[in-house]
Amino acid sequence: MWPPYTYHHLLAFLLTFLSYVLLHSSRKTFSNVKVSISAQWTPSAFQQNGSTSSLSPGETWEENKLFADMGEATLFLGALDSIFLFSYAVGLYISGVIGDRFNLRYVLSFGLCGSAVTEFVFGTLTEWLQFYNVYFYCFLWVINGLLQSTVWPCVVAIMGNWFGKSGRGFVFGLWSACASVGNILGAFLASSVLKYGYEYAFLVTSVVQFAGGVVVFFGLLTSPKEIGLSDYSETSLRPVTRDTDSQRPLISDDEDELCDEYSIQQRDEEPEPQPKAIGFLQAFCLPGVIPYSLAYACLKLVNYSFFFWLPFYLSKNFGWKEVQADRLSVWYDVGGIVGGTVQGLISDLLGKRAPVLAISLLLAMGALVGYSHSPNNQLVNGALLATTGFLIGGPSNMISSAISADLGRQEALATVTGIVDGTGSIGAAGGQYLVSLIESKLGWMCVFYFFIIMTGCSILFIIPLIYCEIRSLCRDSQARTHQL
Amino acid sequence: MIIESHDFVLAKMTAGVTTSTICLCTVFIVLFNVYVDSQDTDAQLCQMCEGTVRQDSPVWDFCLTKGHIRGRCCFRNNTSNVDTIIGDLSNNPISNLSDFIFQGFSHLTQLLLPSKLECPGGNASWEKVEVKNNAKICQGQTNICNQTVQMPWDCPENSFCSPYGPGFFECSCLHNFHGYKCLRQGEFPIVKVLGILTGSTVVVSSLLWFTQRRKVKNT
Repeated sequence: MWPPYTYHHLLAFLLTFLSYVLLHSSRKTFSNVKVSISAQWTPSAFQQNGSTSSLSPGETWEENKLFADMGEATLFLGALDSIFLFSYAVGLYISGVIGDRFNLRYVLSFGLCGSAVTEFVFGTLTEWLQFYNVYFYCFLWVINGLLQSTVWPCVVAIMGNWFGKSGRGFVFGLWSACASVGNILGAFLASSVLKYGYEYAFLVTSVVQFAGGVVVFFGLLTSPKEIGLSDYSETSLRPVTRDTDSQRPLISDDEDELCDEYSIQQRDEEPEPQPKAIGFLQAFCLPGVIPYSLAYACLKLVNYSFFFWLPFYLSKNFGWKEVQADRLSVWYDVGGIVGGTVQGLISDLLGKRAPVLAISLLLAMGALVGYSHSPNNQLVNGALLATTGFLIGGPSNMISSAISADLGRQEALATVTGIVDGTGSIGAAGGQYLVSLIESKLGWMCVFYFFIIMTGCSILFIIPLIYCEIRSLCRDSQARTHQL
Repeated sequence: MIIESHDFVLAKMTAGVTTSTICLCTVFIVLFNVYVDSQDTDAQLCQMCEGTVRQDSPVWDFCLTKGHIRGRCCFRNNTSNVDTIIGDLSNNPISNLSDFIFQGFSHLTQLLLPSKLECPGGNASWEKVEVKNNAKICQGQTNICNQTVQMPWDCPENSFCSPYGPGFFECSCLHNFHGYKCLRQGEFPIVKVLGILTGSTVVVSSLLWFTQRRKVKNT
């Protein structure tokens, strides 16, 4: 029976979707205007008869000397990225706890609006006031990372409130498209406004994001309970087709203490009147949180690094232009969305998530091997990319959204999401550095081997969960045959 | 406007670059309409040294017919546009003169220097170079932007070359481009964009508030 979704569900879906889209679009804007910003910060490099001289008039060509040349400016921009990722990761741990303790709606709007203001000051105000300062930029970007980190845990928690476990995998899979849509929107906004000056790209994205924060504040319902609908997160995850009464008596098994701990999805939820938010350490120790966090660290490392370094790899290895490489990268994103949705649906029907993940990740290792030997053909490369995206992006999307919502249950949704994504971001941040190190010392083949090893590690971390879930799957199917 | 000099003090208003070599008590003043905004500054400069324009210099000849003299300066009669400038630095004990002093003097049509010195920018930057009456006369600046043989460089994107003194050029932004390094094009319609965004935010927020949050039950 398909759960009764109302138009309130649709609105909650769309508003949370929109929040994360706006966030990602502002991040993508920053990436896309990097060339313009570094041009603004440096004087012209002008070669005349072998010696460098300066162009006149100085105000147009030589005045800004924040960095001596484009190389230094690019290094600083890379450092800004790392600073952002690091503060984002730290912020995720904190924001999850805050979101669970305080009103999710307030925290979400505050994060969206605050981050919008910070981006405005970073990109637009400094340009209008002609104030360029390295420390100021770093400070602003740390604040931005902390404020942006409030969004993901809150939106996942809100989605978790509205969509109960039974349909969750499929809905979350669709919903995870928000990051990619955000990337596309950001690229579109940046490219259409950039000719007026990079400060206007920042202006537009930050104003739109601020508007999104206002709309969310006035229009979002954080949970069906706010308007008196029943709370769907109380229904436990069972395969949709099965009869609920049949399983109880046949599962008494004393050796299954370990698996009992992990069978979070089979347990009946006692309806609590007002679940109290639990502490950070308690949430950390909830069953399944640590294995999934570590697995996600490895997976997000592969996902992020693959996505970030792909255009660079394609242009170095095959000599393709950046525009072509960017267009191909979209296929990876598309594969990820389709993968998340399909695998979410399968895991909903099956009633178990870990086995689906395991199979997908095993196949992903093969796909990575295949991709590393990809021929110099854009069509084949695109197809391989889409497949790899399906197999890696799918589990990645699932862990960061649906599974986090499963793990957190009612009282720690945001906290657990924060923990899982925070660990993942640390992995991703480390991966950025490691990939460039490995590539410079050992070459691209070793980078692919590194990705394969990381994917393998993520499977290793969730082996206990896989074992328990397969066992209970077998038991359930035995119970069914006994019934007949 | 005219340059006149016996002894040479160059005052360049905007760049703030001054070279004073020998100033006995005559000072010559350089004034350009493009740089100087106010009549007061003109007046100050022109009165900086006492006396008036020397009578045996070409500046005097020019001024008799085409301008009027005020202090050490010659002001063109009806005008705000500069199209002719003559500089007379001959009869000065200058041993060497940096080319960079002349950067920016794109309207300098005739320059007289002590005969030992070279024309700024080299002979290729002037149409005619001759020595007459113990003075070297550099006449008619050539447009460096047209000399493709001599220019191994191009102005960066969105800018065009224009002369900027003997042997110098400047890259000015093309029409509709402006800002640092001529990166910006056009005028961003900020009012329109902000207006549309604010309007739609208000509409959507109120719509959602009426349909969603107003129904919230306070438990």
